[in-house]
Amino acid sequence: MATTVKIQVEENNPVLALQGFLRGLLNNESLSGILVPVHLFGKGIPMPTLVTNPDQLSGADPLAPAFPMNSAKLLSRLTRGQSTERIAAVMRPCEIRAFVELVKLNQGSFDKVIIVGVDCMGAYDNVSYKKFLGDSDPQEATLNFHGQVGDGNNPSINGVEIASACQCCEHPDARKADIIVGIAGANLHECIPAMASSARGEALLSALGLPDMESTNGREKALESLIETRIVTRDAMLERTKAATGTLKDLSEYLSSCVNCYNCRVACPVCYCKACVFNTDVFEHKPWQYMEWAKHKGSLKMPTDTVFYHLTRMAHMSTACVGCGQCSNACPNDIPVMELFRTVAERTQESFNYEPGRSLDEPPPLSVFKEDEFQETVSHIA
Amino acid sequence: MRKQYGALVVGAGIGGIRAALDLAVTGHKVALIDKRPNHGGILSQLDYQFPSDHCGMCKMLPLMARDSASQYCLRKGLFHDNIDIMLSTELTEIDGEPGKFLVSLSRKSTLIDPTKCVSCGKCSEVCPVKVPSEFDAGLSERSAVYLPVPHAIPNHYVLDLDNCLRCWKCYEACPTGAIDFKFDERKDFHILIVNSDAEVADFMKESLREQNFTLHFSETGHEAVEMLTSDNRIGLVLLGMNLEDMDADRVLTRSLELRADVPVVVMATAGQEEQGADLVMQGAREYLTKSLASKTFVPWLDKLYMRIMSDSTEKLEVGAVILAGGFECYDPKMHPAGSEDVWSYDHPGVLTAVEFERLMSGTGPTGGQLLRPGDNKPVKNIAWIQCVGSRDVRKGADYCSGICCMFSIKESVLAKKATNGAVEATIFYMDMRTSGKDYQQYRDRAENEKGVRFVRSRPHSIMPTDDGQALKIEYMTEQGHLVTEVYDMVVLAVGARPPSGMKQFAVTLGLDVNEWGFAETKPYAPERTSRVGVFAAGAFGEPKDISESVIQAGAAAQAASRIIKVYNVLAGIESEPEPEYPDVSRDPARTFIAVCASCPTLGQSIDMEALSDHLAKVHSVHKVVPIGRACTAEGWAEIGKGIDEFKPNRVLIGACMPYAYIPRLKELGRTIGLNPALMDVVDIYTPTFKPQTEGKAEKEIYVSLSMAVAGLQGVDPVSAPVMVDITRSALVVGGGLAGMTAAMSIADYGYGVCLVESEEELGGLAMRLHTQLDGSDPRKFMEELIGQVQRHPNIKVLTDSRVVLSRGSAGHFRSAIASPQGVFPLEHGVSILATGGHEAKVYESGLCVHKSVMTHLAFEEQLATGVIDAGALSGVAMIQCWRSPGDDRKYCSRVCCPEMLKNVLTLKERNPNLPIYVFYRDIMAQGFLETYYTRARKAGAIFIRYDTDNKPTVAFEDGKPVITFFDHILRSKVQIHTDLLSLSSGLEPNDVEDLLEVFDVEINKNGFYKEADFKWRPVDFLKQGIYMCGIAHAPRRMGETVASAKAAAQRALRILNAEKIPKETVVASVRHSLCSLCQACVAACPYGARVVDMEAGKILVDEMLCQGCGACAAVCPNSATVLKGFHDGPMMSVIDAALEEPA
Repeated sequence: MATTVKIQVEENNPVLALQGFLRGLLNNESLSGILVPVHLFGKGIPMPTLVTNPDQLSGADPLAPAFPMNSAKLLSRLTRGQSTERIAAVMRPCEIRAFVELVKLNQGSFDKVIIVGVDCMGAYDNVSYKKFLGDSDPQEATLNFHGQVGDGNNPSINGVEIASACQCCEHPDARKADIIVGIAGANLHECIPAMASSARGEALLSALGLPDMESTNGREKALESLIETRIVTRDAMLERTKAATGTLKDLSEYLSSCVNCYNCRVACPVCYCKACVFNTDVFEHKPWQYMEWAKHKGSLKMPTDTVFYHLTRMAHMSTACVGCGQCSNACPNDIPVMELFRTVAERTQESFNYEPGRSLDEPPPLSVFKEDEFQETVSHIA
Repeated sequence: MRKQYGALVVGAGIGGIRAALDLAVTGHKVALIDKRPNHGGILSQLDYQFPSDHCGMCKMLPLMARDSASQYCLRKGLFHDNIDIMLSTELTEIDGEPGKFLVSLSRKSTLIDPTKCVSCGKCSEVCPVKVPSEFDAGLSERSAVYLPVPHAIPNHYVLDLDNCLRCWKCYEACPTGAIDFKFDERKDFHILIVNSDAEVADFMKESLREQNFTLHFSETGHEAVEMLTSDNRIGLVLLGMNLEDMDADRVLTRSLELRADVPVVVMATAGQEEQGADLVMQGAREYLTKSLASKTFVPWLDKLYMRIMSDSTEKLEVGAVILAGGFECYDPKMHPAGSEDVWSYDHPGVLTAVEFERLMSGTGPTGGQLLRPGDNKPVKNIAWIQCVGSRDVRKGADYCSGICCMFSIKESVLAKKATNGAVEATIFYMDMRTSGKDYQQYRDRAENEKGVRFVRSRPHSIMPTDDGQALKIEYMTEQGHLVTEVYDMVVLAVGARPPSGMKQFAVTLGLDVNEWGFAETKPYAPERTSRVGVFAAGAFGEPKDISESVIQAGAAAQAASRIIKVYNVLAGIESEPEPEYPDVSRDPARTFIAVCASCPTLGQSIDMEALSDHLAKVHSVHKVVPIGRACTAEGWAEIGKGIDEFKPNRVLIGACMPYAYIPRLKELGRTIGLNPALMDVVDIYTPTFKPQTEGKAEKEIYVSLSMAVAGLQGVDPVSAPVMVDITRSALVVGGGLAGMTAAMSIADYGYGVCLVESEEELGGLAMRLHTQLDGSDPRKFMEELIGQVQRHPNIKVLTDSRVVLSRGSAGHFRSAIASPQGVFPLEHGVSILATGGHEAKVYESGLCVHKSVMTHLAFEEQLATGVIDAGALSGVAMIQCWRSPGDDRKYCSRVCCPEMLKNVLTLKERNPNLPIYVFYRDIMAQGFLETYYTRARKAGAIFIRYDTDNKPTVAFEDGKPVITFFDHILRSKVQIHTDLLSLSSGLEPNDVEDLLEVFDVEINKNGFYKEADFKWRPVDFLKQGIYMCGIAHAPRRMGETVASAKAAAQRALRILNAEKIPKETVVASVRHSLCSLCQACVAACPYGARVVDMEAGKILVDEMLCQGCGACAAVCPNSATVLKGFHDGPMMSVIDAALEEPA
């Protein structure tokens, strides 16, 4: 049985307890830094921050219900190519899963990073987080949030709910991490369990000298009921979206307020191209081409290639979509991009029996060619 | 002056095509002829091939200088700059010597001018003749004017004069005047009738009145000779045999002396047939027997006239000749007794294997549905009968055809597939000869996964059931019970016979024929016939399957190219320099479209004017011109004229059968100074085939043309070819028979070879052989070969050495070799891996414990050295497949059965009364080896079959083996006591784990090298520039090993022979600024052409290895990888055009 230790919570403040835990980790010689969300500037949104000085962990808030960006891409920058020093990264489950996908695409590496996964109760999108925060102290707001969530509760605080991506997320439990901080079902006023789930994690945890914890039964149960609620929400969302995007016409309407800003692509953790094909010469059409298209149809929406852009992204990335919802978070015009992608991903991932982030050993489906697959689709060609 | 070629290849089947391509890519000009009116041989009729159950012939297309061969379906057409194909052509005469053969080819006219025929099919529609179609193996009918195969390109109708009724309806129906019966030339055709009989003269005058020929009569030989001397218009002599003044043979001789080109036909009186035949041997064209009846005489003469007028003779000078005449299928009607048809072949449910193959074909009589031909009854169960016409001494075929077992298994699998497994398939066989690489796995799959039933028995006949509806098969089970089963369909696995006319052909060429009727070939050189400079490819020397035929063709090509090189055949013939074209990439596109308006179906179904108007509005289209018959010379001239007038920089032609235009476009490019890459031909004919709704065909044609316009606009300006310098030497790994043969082949060509052998001596496994079944001396051969290799000035032999590193790509490798003298570097252009194999070692059944037990090889050695005294023995047992296709090794080692037969025959020769027991599963005596199996049985050896679940067991009494086995007929265990036990241990490939990494190549799960494609590229690795041969690739006998080594050498020569390799037009490249280094393309590349350079942070593409398949571009999400000529922008424009409605 792998080691599970107790992070003791003092003064009813789990955030402080976790800060202490991280400080302990950072004091270990083998780690040179920790990537963790930190309230750097008073009341702003906590941002992923690479902390090397243990003293500066006082603003760290891994439990904040804020999710300004998916840190997988940031971690990819920290681990690509020849990274020399080992760091730890505190991540949400969807961030870890996205990072697994990036590693498969050679955009990062697990070699020099210790992943500290924290169970996720959901988070607000950037606009809602500010409403949620109101005038309160960020850390207190975090405590308030965790006081009200758990077991699938979805409380409305200050009139806002957690992001729809989180509401239908069926992976709130941290996996593929070296150390798992199991806040699900934990009594955050007493103690938080930290579990080692790799040899490296084991070594680090035992070096901290924290007391062992007997059982984490409460976590399993809490996760089970949380997932159950979320799957119900998810399925309803999928049905809704399917109905709204079934035809090209409906899809065009769904995407009608898109302004081709490509923010969703920038925010997407698994969209890994250095330069997107939509920013290359491929889509620099000739003036006569625009004229011809316009003439053929009588009118032409400008800019062109809007639906095509989204379709291309679905074709390229839907098998790797982890459903983190950052696309929706980034959209300036409130297009429910996450819903669309999850709906498409549901089917593409099922077709290849592929779950992004599940295992490093499963190659991305489009990189594998099997002569005999999808006969029903291709047999007429043979 | 005779046209010169490096080689003449006779037979354009798979062997001939492979040999021709092998020579063509090495830079030699090849004339490829076939007596059929189509290329492709038997493969043109077969849609599916083992093991993929697809075609895949295109994998033979050249990998280098791809632009010189149109990269199209090889079954449809073969186009290569260095290959001239002549169909309906036969080799009639050969003179001269290796390096300079003077050959005469008789070219039979199809009577239809291919430059005028537009393949409209009107002629065929009106033709009243119906004869069985050769293409459909007689399952459907064709007319006398027909398409030989439906898919050939170019595809022109041909006229079968032999079956023609001379109704001239086709002539009248042809819209283009392509059919030429030479009506107008008749009166200028002078016939000299030499006969003493006035009756004959009257008959001629009377019956030929309407034919308009000019007739001359002569009653004496002297007068006839006089007329031949003075009148040079005479085109035919009809010679009677009863002249008073001169003998007919004297007149014939004089005639041939005076006018060799004038055919002489002898008119014999009844009873003089023998003399007539003699005169034919002396040079007469044929003989007729009197009395003549005008009903038969006139058509005969008419047809003869047309042949004389239309056929032609081509005279060539060639360096070498390759014979790839293939084989004929046994005709099940050919019962030796004459009348009796034991196979009920006339019953609609009985088919030959080729007929069944046609039945399953999508282009076959039922469109691929499994219905009985003739009565269209559904088929519920099928039986395959093996060895029909093979392995049958009474039918003059004491040999195994070698191909039938696999094609029957394949056909049974196809039948299962076509019916979703519903049809019951049973194969009746004697031995399932699955001795090729991975054949056994295919059989196991058919049996275990597809549910094909295998019954070991040879039914003696097939009878219709009493109601005549189905077929009754009676056979004896192994237990001796007589069983009757009823089948809807029976497929006869008819064996291979020598090609028809083989005897006459052999006489013409001065070739020896072996006892089985195939061309005699040399031991250890299966490509060499009895005539120097004339080589056998494909199945010409022995029945062979595709893979073996292809290897054999490679060996023949190697032998031919050696002759071409040695005699410097093509010295002084300069190849035409590549023309340089102006760069038009910066000019706005100006497209000229020529639309062929003459296809009859086209004019009917679409409004050509509207089409032209629509097209004229497409961007960049400058001019649309309708032209007549683009496929004819006149039509082509019209296109040229249009181009001259409008000076376009893109040319698009709408016509039928675009493939046929590839060579013409090149020619056009030269004349008008425009790169052929900026021209395209689009098929506008096919859409008009099927009846369609109003306007649909028109739209389809418009769309394909505007797609091509868009495509042409985006064509990359072709850059000057980048040349890769070649290091003109080879590295051969392995100094056994395969390695040494390959080394010799390359060294003889003048290139350096480094031969690396890990042992201290050259020779390898073959050195363990002492005798061969054919009586040749393997020892002597090997010792001579070793001597030649060691003395060869171009070969450097390194024994006790290994290759430790090899980097680079085809044309330029850098390797490191560790030898006892130290490690040193080697630069070379190609690598050949011939790492060989060894006798498998397993310590069972008392091997290595009891002196009385040994392997077949050890047995041979002891027989040869006299350790075993055959006369002193009282019994010998041999166990085949002793540990072969068991659980761990599912392949046949191919050498053990011949090895066993060899030992049996030696023992029986020395001690005819010696009891010999051979325990076997299937005797693998493919090809002529069968004869030795027959001999062994005749000599009295007892062959006892066993199953894997009932293997014979071995115990020992006083150190002598006691074998217990299950007797099928007694149904009980039986024991025999013998003095000696010999075990077939099988072959295993040598361990090459280190080499796999060094050369970046793969092995299959049995440890044999994995070839690029088992059938079509059997000696290539997927990686260019590295080849394999010998038993490291697959178990082989010595002759087969030599063939594979020569084939591999030939593949290597095509690289070494090119001083520089031009860069291909279609290769991939990486736009590094866009690349995220995800390496998906590296994994996707099937040719290993991509590596990631971590230091530079770049993906590198090896342009030699890249075959332009585009897998990388498909997998790259943001087009960081691009394929030249297939950039996203132009491709999207093409798609766009495909979706547009006419403006």
